[in-house]
Amino acid sequence: MNKPCSGNRNAKIQQIISVMLIGAAFFLGGCATTGVTEQQNSANKADPYEDLNRKVFVFNDTVDDYVAAPISDAYKWITPQFMQTGVFNFFTNLKNINVVINDVLQAKYAQSAHDTGRFALNTTLGLGGFVDVAKSVGLEQNDEDFEQTLAVWGVPQGSYLVIPFLGPSTVRGVPGAAFDTAANPVSYVGLPVQLISLLNTRANAEGALKFIDEAALDPYVFTRESFLQWRNNLATDGKSESSLELDNELGEDGANSSGKGGDTSADNKTAPALHENTGTK
Amino acid sequence: MVLKNMKLAVVFIFCLFATVNAFAQAESGATAKQVVDKFQTELIAVMKNGKQLGYAGRYDKLYGPVSDSHDLTKIARIVVGKEWEKLSEAQQQKLTDVFARLSVASYAHNFKDYSGESFVFDSEEETTRGGVVVHSHFIIPDDKPVKFDYMLKEKGNSWRIINIIANGVSDLALKRSEYTTILQREGFDALIVKINEKIDNYSKL
Repeated sequence: MNKPCSGNRNAKIQQIISVMLIGAAFFLGGCATTGVTEQQNSANKADPYEDLNRKVFVFNDTVDDYVAAPISDAYKWITPQFMQTGVFNFFTNLKNINVVINDVLQAKYAQSAHDTGRFALNTTLGLGGFVDVAKSVGLEQNDEDFEQTLAVWGVPQGSYLVIPFLGPSTVRGVPGAAFDTAANPVSYVGLPVQLISLLNTRANAEGALKFIDEAALDPYVFTRESFLQWRNNLATDGKSESSLELDNELGEDGANSSGKGGDTSADNKTAPALHENTGTK
Repeated sequence: MVLKNMKLAVVFIFCLFATVNAFAQAESGATAKQVVDKFQTELIAVMKNGKQLGYAGRYDKLYGPVSDSHDLTKIARIVVGKEWEKLSEAQQQKLTDVFARLSVASYAHNFKDYSGESFVFDSEEETTRGGVVVHSHFIIPDDKPVKFDYMLKEKGNSWRIINIIANGVSDLALKRSEYTTILQREGFDALIVKINEKIDNYSKL
């Protein structure tokens, strides 16, 4: 209810996904088939592979605790803040090539001009992207990727998936990430730069991961719900009918409690499961 | 003369009516926007004194504003979904109590100090089921603003917040998934233990 940094958190989660490698797509084919038998315990329609996903989630968490977090902490400790910001700006700027491609694929032509301007300005005046000069002239960073494009094209989101080493995604997110990886120059410049990119991503996820740790009663569900809602919000550019969805949630509540609490919102005509709203768009 | 008197009388009645009307409006409690405005102002005020107050001070200062502006009882009921009906009255009461403490504790923890943040009202809309959504955003210096949409429902003669959607992520939906999952997987006692752990952590962090 009270998370000033939830936007950040989600942005960071997204960054984790954006470094996903194409190979993961092949791995996932395997996951999807083995998961089919495990759906009995799942309460969530968007997450039929919950049991398997939870195992991968625990695995990722362990890897993060023992490998990624220590390296990331060391990076944050030895690197001056202005360098960290520069590195963050550099990789964010490179992503704008993909942002512009996806602007066009979603027919957002005005925004594609805005994002091209942003990229050009930061690459030149911003010294190769290390300085975010575009922000100071009012060209804010937009967040577009191929998964959002697929959503705009009407591809359903599909099941929620937790991918080893890479974290939350969906069936639609996998080809999305594969495309984004292919469209990011970082993928072609060699291992050292890719490692720095990973380090940058993890270091910037710090606040988000800390927030989840502090706020979540069930970190797996917390991550899944915030991830799915946030992706849905991005795909619809914040125009998803959240108020309507909320009313439906309340309608459901009203129906449940009308016998007891005298709730006024008892006209529960639709009351779809929450995850039909958030999970599949 | 009679006409003039009548005119005066009409003016007088009109004035009286207007006063009564205004009075009635004040009586009927604050509008949804006023409730949100007031709460945000109180929150910012606590943030400004956050460091001096410390966690316990912020908790005490926020308890009133949070419970006055939020319908915590209703929120507690919604977040456990259909499971609510399966709880005994004592359990329902216990859940409502710890949930209220958790809500205040997380505000006290997350809004701990001030570095120029502010809330800005954007717009207000009515929903089809008689609720009101107040759209606003939270400005953080040197960072992207966070969109805060408050969903309110009428309770008695006033409006109460029942959900906050931050950058498209619904707190109510998030909590409901968590709470129902824990209730189904681990049961009521485990849920209460987990909530108390969080409250405890917030007080120590």
